Amino acid sequence: MSKLTTGSFSIEDLESVQITINNIVGAAKEAAEEKAKELVNAGPTLFAGLESYRDDWNFKLLDRYEPVITPMCDQCCYCTYGPCDLSGNKRGACGIDMLGHNGREFFLRVITGTACHAAHGRHLLDHLIETFGEDLPLNLGQSNVLTPNITISTGLSPKTLGEVKPAMEYVEEQLTQLLATVHAGQESAEIDYDSKALFSGSLDHVGMEISDIVQVTAYDFPRADPEAPLIEIGMGTIDKSKPFLCVIGHNVAGVTYMMDYMEDHDLTDKMEIAGLCCTAIDLTRYKEADRRPPYAKVIGSMSKELKVIRSGMPDVIVVDEQCVRGDIVPEAQKLMIPVIASNPKIMYGLPNRTDADVDETIEELRSGKIPGCVMLDYDKLGEICIRLTMEMAPIRDASGITAIPTDEEFTNWVMKCADCGACMIACPEELDIPEAMGFAKEGDYSYLDILHDQCIGCRRCEQVCKKEIPILNIIEKAAQKQISEEKGLMRAGRGQVSDAEIRAEGLNLVMGTTPGIIAIIGCPNYPEGTKDVYYIAEEFLKRNFIVVTTGCGAMDIGMFKDEDGKTLYERFPGGFECGGLANIGSCVSNAHITGAAEKVAAIFAQRTLEGNLAEIGDYVLNRVGACGLAWGAFSQKASSIGTGCNILGIPAVLGPHSSKYRRALIAKNYEEDKWKVYDARNGQEMAIPPAPEFLLTTAETWQEAIPMMAKACIRPSDNNMGRSIKLTHWMELHKKYLGSKPEDWWKFVRNEADLPLATREALLKELEKEHGWEIDWKRKKVISGPKIKFDVSAQPTNLKRLCKEA
Amino acid sequence: MVDTTKNTKLFTSYGVSTSRTVSPEMAAKLISKAKRPLLMVGTLTLEPEILDRVVKISKAANIPIAATGSSMASLVDKDVDAKYINAHMLGFYLTDPKWPGLDGNGNYDMVIAIGFKKYYINQVLSAAKNFSNLKTIAIERGYIQNATMSFGNLSKADYYAALDELINAL
Repeated sequence: MSKLTTGSFSIEDLESVQITINNIVGAAKEAAEEKAKELVNAGPTLFAGLESYRDDWNFKLLDRYEPVITPMCDQCCYCTYGPCDLSGNKRGACGIDMLGHNGREFFLRVITGTACHAAHGRHLLDHLIETFGEDLPLNLGQSNVLTPNITISTGLSPKTLGEVKPAMEYVEEQLTQLLATVHAGQESAEIDYDSKALFSGSLDHVGMEISDIVQVTAYDFPRADPEAPLIEIGMGTIDKSKPFLCVIGHNVAGVTYMMDYMEDHDLTDKMEIAGLCCTAIDLTRYKEADRRPPYAKVIGSMSKELKVIRSGMPDVIVVDEQCVRGDIVPEAQKLMIPVIASNPKIMYGLPNRTDADVDETIEELRSGKIPGCVMLDYDKLGEICIRLTMEMAPIRDASGITAIPTDEEFTNWVMKCADCGACMIACPEELDIPEAMGFAKEGDYSYLDILHDQCIGCRRCEQVCKKEIPILNIIEKAAQKQISEEKGLMRAGRGQVSDAEIRAEGLNLVMGTTPGIIAIIGCPNYPEGTKDVYYIAEEFLKRNFIVVTTGCGAMDIGMFKDEDGKTLYERFPGGFECGGLANIGSCVSNAHITGAAEKVAAIFAQRTLEGNLAEIGDYVLNRVGACGLAWGAFSQKASSIGTGCNILGIPAVLGPHSSKYRRALIAKNYEEDKWKVYDARNGQEMAIPPAPEFLLTTAETWQEAIPMMAKACIRPSDNNMGRSIKLTHWMELHKKYLGSKPEDWWKFVRNEADLPLATREALLKELEKEHGWEIDWKRKKVISGPKIKFDVSAQPTNLKRLCKEA
Repeated sequence: MVDTTKNTKLFTSYGVSTSRTVSPEMAAKLISKAKRPLLMVGTLTLEPEILDRVVKISKAANIPIAATGSSMASLVDKDVDAKYINAHMLGFYLTDPKWPGLDGNGNYDMVIAIGFKKYYINQVLSAAKNFSNLKTIAIERGYIQNATMSFGNLSKADYYAALDELINAL
């Protein structure tokens, strides 16, 4: 391989000739590997590959947290040998069994999600380097540890945009290796697919980290700012009297040009710019580092996409990538809304006008000659979108487009319903649409109104309706008042957690005065509606947990207000602190959540990050009481984000729909052999409580999820105060939401000081009576009984190599 | 008598294997013959009409209840042998012959599921269907493909009537 590196040089005798070498394949990685050799205390897995974490860490995790396979289908339809019937764990024609095939299916979802974030990162990195240059310093706020995920995986600690490139190349190379294993006749062992999925999860957080750190740096997003501005959110926030540009997707690059054009032409108060999904979240972060008054708005998640289009409000729609519905062009076309595709990942079959004249393109779109176009030149995109929006608004007004049914149309459609029930069988939420239609026939629309928040806007009901009733429109018509009042506030994504916040909270987390970190992330496929996440966040905030949030979860938390009219973002501080609600940002900002856990290990406990994933994951699993919630997780990206949390020792609770991921990681709490670790001081085995008892599982209701998450914050190394506080919250929440005290609370008690203070005596009596523990009642001390011992200086670890005697 | 063996329409299929439909009378016979049955109860049991019938089934056949989701909240004062467990965990433990069960006396030979959304119970039961010999009977309003046996899709009225027939036959 060439020893040339990036840079420029001149040929001496030909002074007018200059050759600039932008990149040499492999050179960046080679330089990075040279640099890695300089690291003194690096861990064993610099530039980790498919096999790097397998034996030393992943198999240890998977031995306790066993993969639970719940196939979505008992056939394999992957190659031309099949389709094969694999039911009952039979082997198919290629030799793979049901377990292996489903391991592959889950793995495929994880690498798909990883690829989405990584490709997003590559696009932003290249675009921003081209725009701002390689030497732009990474500026993420008051932090020395800028890139914990990059550093863990590669040992690199980039300080400029250009220095990020080797990490990007690393992710891309490993993704190619991972994708190759899906091919027929490759990997067939379920356990190895799970190990590879975990590895892919770690890469995903590198890809996400790259995406966010480069956009925070270049676009002047809030930088670890607990007081990032409050942003308006909800369908009701759109001023219908103004032209409205609606943006959808997950890549803010193109939108910044639209906002710049608006600002340059003094249009920020003359039109609306708002969006759905993460582009919307990120456009509200643009140039907000100085906390200027926000004018961009967020409408909501993917579940609102079709509802917003059907409302007829947008005058132009721009899409980029990820979580964008496939039917936007035909739906928009019905309402004369031009659609502009601004990213090559989604081009919708539209004509490409990237090289065309701006005026001519606007005329084609304005006249309806073409329903939309592809526009990959961002300068032109910014101009076209804004000018077109201003021109389309009066045209659409004049044409009298009314998207919401009239009262007469509404009544006629309701009366057409034959109560066949097909819509209910088709509805992924199993909403009782026929019952609501029945009440509507009698003039009671409240049942349809209730469905609005539960409906995820997928249109499956309409696809099966033999009477061709536009059921989604019916629901939205009935919910017009509710929609008009859908006005909330969310804090603009604040970026990563600063080193100072980690130092300040580290002790509280260890002592248990901050009982845990709850990370609410994910998509909008909720079982009962968006308010679920609001309830969950409020419960934990009131109990002084740190609640961090991103993406659709962050949006939906801000949609609801208390009796004083305040949202949770107004009621609770925005810092990574006890009782704080920290909106970290969009989906890619999830890397800062794992990053915060990694920083606790690096900053608070002085652990080496470089190439040291197993030790960091081991530290988090045993010591950092954190639990994720992806209540509406539906996308492949959600599976990769969650799997990245899992490899780092962070458990996650998912909503019931996520059982369709086909796999969970659940420990057998009844097998005592699984609940032992080493004491790093001397290598001796020590028994621990079954905590956490899962890395990934689903809950049926938000009420069930709350005590599950409180319990999952219990860690083997809790001190007495921490264990007592955590037990208090778990037992109270179990009683509050599930009606009774948990059956297994006593398994977490090592001595009397672990017991909740308010109920200590009663619980001691129960331990004596129900479990035969010996109690010294004079001193109110436990004499014998617990299977686990408390030792304040013990250093629990799953890694034998970290033990002094090893 | 309610015919619970018709209307097995599915919107999405889980593949080639489908559960056999069962009448209330036959379901009652199978439940009565089970050596160690478990009544797996989901959150829809919070609806009074279903809760009342769950309690009757448990008492009539002396079957312990695995209360999943939020169902435990409605069962604590009903004088039944009910214990909370997460459904996904239960679905996994049921595939392990070494699981001591909710009472420490070993795994179960039959699970009767009631009170679940179709998509969730189908997913949870697919583990038992593919990786164990456990017999599962879904006495739900909707047809559950991944159970061993199931009612078909029923109207609310027929569903309650079918449950009553099952209770009477126990």
